[in-house]
Amino acid sequence: MEKILRKATERTPYTAFDPDAHRLVLQGESYPEDAAAFFGPLQQALRDYVAGLGDAPFVVDLELNYFNSSSAKALMNMFMLLEQAAAAGRDIRINWRYHPDDDTMEEFGQDFAEDFHHATFTLCPSLDD
Amino acid sequence: MFAQDYYDFHQGLAKQGIILSFTGYVSEGILFALGDALRQKMALDEADANVTKRVFSVFVEQVQNIIRYSAERVEGNLGKRVELSSGTITVGREGERFFVVCGNVVRQEDALAMRERLSALAAMSREELKLHYKEKLKEPPEGRSRGASLGLIEIARRASSPIQFDFIDIDDAAAFFCLKAYI
Repeated sequence: MEKILRKATERTPYTAFDPDAHRLVLQGESYPEDAAAFFGPLQQALRDYVAGLGDAPFVVDLELNYFNSSSAKALMNMFMLLEQAAAAGRDIRINWRYHPDDDTMEEFGQDFAEDFHHATFTLCPSLDD
Repeated sequence: MFAQDYYDFHQGLAKQGIILSFTGYVSEGILFALGDALRQKMALDEADANVTKRVFSVFVEQVQNIIRYSAERVEGNLGKRVELSSGTITVGREGERFFVVCGNVVRQEDALAMRERLSALAAMSREELKLHYKEKLKEPPEGRSRGASLGLIEIARRASSPIQFDFIDIDDAAAFFCLKAYI
């Protein structure tokens, strides 16, 4: 499977999806002009990837400091896909990284965490940035 | 002579605590540029980082609402797809609170459903807004709406008091819609 590597722009996050290393990283801000166009290819790649995923743990690191409602919808779409894969026995670990003073990102993390029963969703407040 | 008119206009806005105000055709490029200036101004004023983030979030959702739902719009292809929607966006400060107001023309046939949706949001508690937001996040995308309701819920969630809205009739076909959120 092909990797996806996109530099951060002013409105879109750094995106690194490496199927061979079983890792996905999103970092930065997300309020693209067209969220469906930005997240669509990543969602499709993830769908294909989890369908063929074996026993290896898949680690997702999310470190977003702002995202708009269309991006939230795209994130939820990915989370539902990952939770389904975890329910089917895959080892999926999502780290929600945010600055400890960032109330909004903490609250989003808590909200998203409630929907995971099979995948591991960990809130990771961190000071390094 | 005309300097007096524009000075009065400028002072009129300043007296209302306006930080920025834009009226006319809005694009995604304008959203980005104004949003960037807004965050810089708030940072220079040493506004609380969490408040700045909430004001910015409400600003983005309101401008995207104008872009997607204003009934006064032009679109076409100028080498790339161009979408311009007319509206008004204002960010200001009233004492310790910030406010973000957007206004745009809507079709009368859409106004009733919008009123119902906004009344429901204004009456919801924080917990109800959160649950409603998550419910909408999980829904498949709505056909024509491109996620408007989600943006409105986001605005209501970031606001520190219930959102305020108003409509005035322009004619049989159109109404002017206004939404104000305090942060």
